[in-house]
Amino acid sequence: MGRTWLTVPRDWVASLGDIAKFAARDFYEIFGGRVFKFFGEALRQAGILILGSTLVIWSTTFILGLQCGIEGAYFDRSVGAPAYAGVFSAWCDLREIMPYAFGYMMAAKVGTGLVAEIGAMRISDEVDALEVMGISSMTFLCATRLLASWMVLPFMYLAAVGAGFFASYLAVVQQIGEVSSGGYFLIFWMFQNPPDLLYSLIKGMTMATFIVIVGAYYGYTASGGPVGVGTATAKSMVLNVVGVHLVGMLGTQIFWGSNPRAPIGG
Amino acid sequence: MAEEYERTEEQGELEPEDQPTQVVDDDGSPEEQDEYQYHVGQQRDHGSEDAIEFIDVKKSFGRNTILNGLNLGIPDNMISMILGPSGTGKSVCIKHMVGLLYPDEGDVLVHGESVPNMADDDLFEMRKKFGVLFQDGALFGSMNLYDNVAFPLRQHTDKGEDEIAEIVNRRLKEVGLGGADDKMPNELSGGMRKRAGFARALVLDPQIVLFDEPDSGLDPVRTALLCELIKEIHDENGGCYVVITHDIMSARRVAEYIAILWKGRIVESGPAQELFNSDNQFVRQFLSGEAKGPLGME
Repeated sequence: MGRTWLTVPRDWVASLGDIAKFAARDFYEIFGGRVFKFFGEALRQAGILILGSTLVIWSTTFILGLQCGIEGAYFDRSVGAPAYAGVFSAWCDLREIMPYAFGYMMAAKVGTGLVAEIGAMRISDEVDALEVMGISSMTFLCATRLLASWMVLPFMYLAAVGAGFFASYLAVVQQIGEVSSGGYFLIFWMFQNPPDLLYSLIKGMTMATFIVIVGAYYGYTASGGPVGVGTATAKSMVLNVVGVHLVGMLGTQIFWGSNPRAPIGG
Repeated sequence: MAEEYERTEEQGELEPEDQPTQVVDDDGSPEEQDEYQYHVGQQRDHGSEDAIEFIDVKKSFGRNTILNGLNLGIPDNMISMILGPSGTGKSVCIKHMVGLLYPDEGDVLVHGESVPNMADDDLFEMRKKFGVLFQDGALFGSMNLYDNVAFPLRQHTDKGEDEIAEIVNRRLKEVGLGGADDKMPNELSGGMRKRAGFARALVLDPQIVLFDEPDSGLDPVRTALLCELIKEIHDENGGCYVVITHDIMSARRVAEYIAILWKGRIVESGPAQELFNSDNQFVRQFLSGEAKGPLGME
């Protein structure tokens, strides 16, 4: 009985160890420069990311920006401070909602896509075919994708934050209209500064890196035919969602946990 | 190397796990039966150097022992076939040759170099000697036929696109896919995928070409045509061709050298004609495809 209940946590620990080793090798392939032998493939993957994921990520952040704006405007009205709706947009959008929305969509679109693509290649011998051609499949399939995500995602993320901000502005100023544009922006900019944007970007990129590595790991190690790829995809999604929340929580604690970085209390 | 594999004399020096087991025959009397009694391990002289050698290779997956002291030499400049019943470790053999799997014990040599002891960079370099045709072709699903075949050239050579186009079109034409270069792998039949995989395997003019069950899933006519193609291209290019199969008709068509694998060891190996005339009961049963003999359903 003891062995049975210990098996699951043991497997988790073993998997996390394997993923950490996989990530270390992925980083080595990039920082060791080997990935640049396949820079063309990295560019191709960057193109696929841009064409395949940009709109869906921007759409999600836009919608969540709208929601943040509406909720913030009504809450501030309820406490008699409708002019302070910009606080919600500044904090909710930049610090929490945008990183989470970005993380969720990355996990759902890019992470699962990676597992499915690389996993299908694994079970149809395409990964072995690469290896026997004298090409490191780890470099060609995994490191190129991580490099591509690092090349593309910071810009995609910053634009996503912009989409969220714009949506909040529309909701607060144009839709609900209890604060003027100038009044909204006064508070909006008062409650954030450039380091906040950098911290938010760090949160988003940490999530993205985690998701790409987990996706590549589960795809690369998939086995057991199509069912095995399906199982690996589900496992990766679970781990990615947990990882997104862990990164989100740690980021908030580290960057804003002891200092709100806002004009509160004078 | 051939003498090293003359294991006929070694049959009396079995390791503990190879000790004969007690079985009860139909009439109930106990009878000693050696699991490897048909494995004479004899390698008949083929008059050529070995391109690939397996030396006492053991490989297990969990509790399943797949290769159990495999000794085998694959001659250079011949079409060799590794034959054996399903699930007996033939594909595992191929994966050892190219370093996709490493033996638990023993060694695998390619042109005298130990594959398990190679550093990663040397291994990738060594693999450029190989062309491998996987069971289903293993074409990259994201590329069309032309790009699939051109891929090794683009990665490993400095050739310009014009030269690459010339080579790719020539190889595709050789395998009868001259007009299909813009097709995606999912638009091809199983036979076409295998031929495309063959073209890709040949594109770097490899010294060794491995075929993992090229006849699986093909009808007898297409199998015969593929065998003819293998022979023609070998006649043209030479090199060490290794075909893994359990199809006897394919063996009769193309094999110059045959090794029969069963229970993780070579039963017997040698020039094809000598194997077809072998007195070994297992070899005779397998090569004639008879139901009666040492090989059962177990």
